[in-house]
Amino acid sequence: MKSIKDLERVKEQALADMRVRSSSGSPRVTVGMGTCGIAAGARETMLAIIDELKKRQKLDVTITETGCIGLCAKEPIVEVHIPGEPRVVYGNVDVSRARQIVASHLVNRKVVDDWVINIRKEDE
Amino acid sequence: MVDISLHLLDLMQNSARAQATRVVMKITENREKDTLTAIVTDNGIGMDEEEKRLALDPFYTTKKGKKVGLGLPLVVQAARMSGGDVKIESHPVSGTTVEVTFSLSHPDRQPLGDIPATLVSFMAGNPDTELSFEYAGDQGTFSMTSSQLFSQEEKETLGQIALLSLAEKRMRAGLAGAGFRPDGGGVIG
Repeated sequence: MKSIKDLERVKEQALADMRVRSSSGSPRVTVGMGTCGIAAGARETMLAIIDELKKRQKLDVTITETGCIGLCAKEPIVEVHIPGEPRVVYGNVDVSRARQIVASHLVNRKVVDDWVINIRKEDE
Repeated sequence: MVDISLHLLDLMQNSARAQATRVVMKITENREKDTLTAIVTDNGIGMDEEEKRLALDPFYTTKKGKKVGLGLPLVVQAARMSGGDVKIESHPVSGTTVEVTFSLSHPDRQPLGDIPATLVSFMAGNPDTELSFEYAGDQGTFSMTSSQLFSQEEKETLGQIALLSLAEKRMRAGLAGAGFRPDGGGVIG
């Protein structure tokens, strides 16, 4: 490595590698299933997401859960992560919102702005 | 928590967070003795005597940065208001057993709720945990283990969502066959 240009090349290569890594794999939906989430209806939210995804099995989405993230008033909380895109966290996701998030965000790739409580970039 | 199945999901989540690889849930309804018993057993990291005592305190939690831990206290409240109680047996390393009893006909007993929904949502979030479930009522029994719920072919060909839907269907059918019904809670008189 002899110049700034070399350094930049290394940086670009590393960033490209990171993009490949982070954009591999399937979209992931995470439901908050702590005590607060369960009490607010997270179980029904999760079942609604499973039911919607069942109708669209080509999507190949992975569903998973997490504990309380400290925003209990916004439960049920659902995070949608499509590889290569920012992670979108939705709040107060009842059954009806859950179904709409699957149709809009996962199928049509359109974030439902009204219910977003946080958007995190890939590397955050 | 509006019904018992939600409390049980919360107890199972406790097990999962205690790094359990195996969780067993048993529900027994006994109309003669007028009892409803739910037991959640895991092979997680367990608790020592001091932690066991503190676990029932709503202002005790093992999570860093949190000030409350409401799961167990809510279960205790639900059990006690229906004339029941909660027993915890736990040993470090070997795991924890939480036994919740309710008086079946007590007017303040919460409804049993949607047990298959509880099982499926737990399986969705904890695919690597082996979940066993047993129900025994006056009209029959039903038991299942998550690893034996599907044939090898189904495991190889179906995706996560299809397997979960199939699990829900099978558990609903199995429980219905055992005479299980999500009741409306205790009755007056």
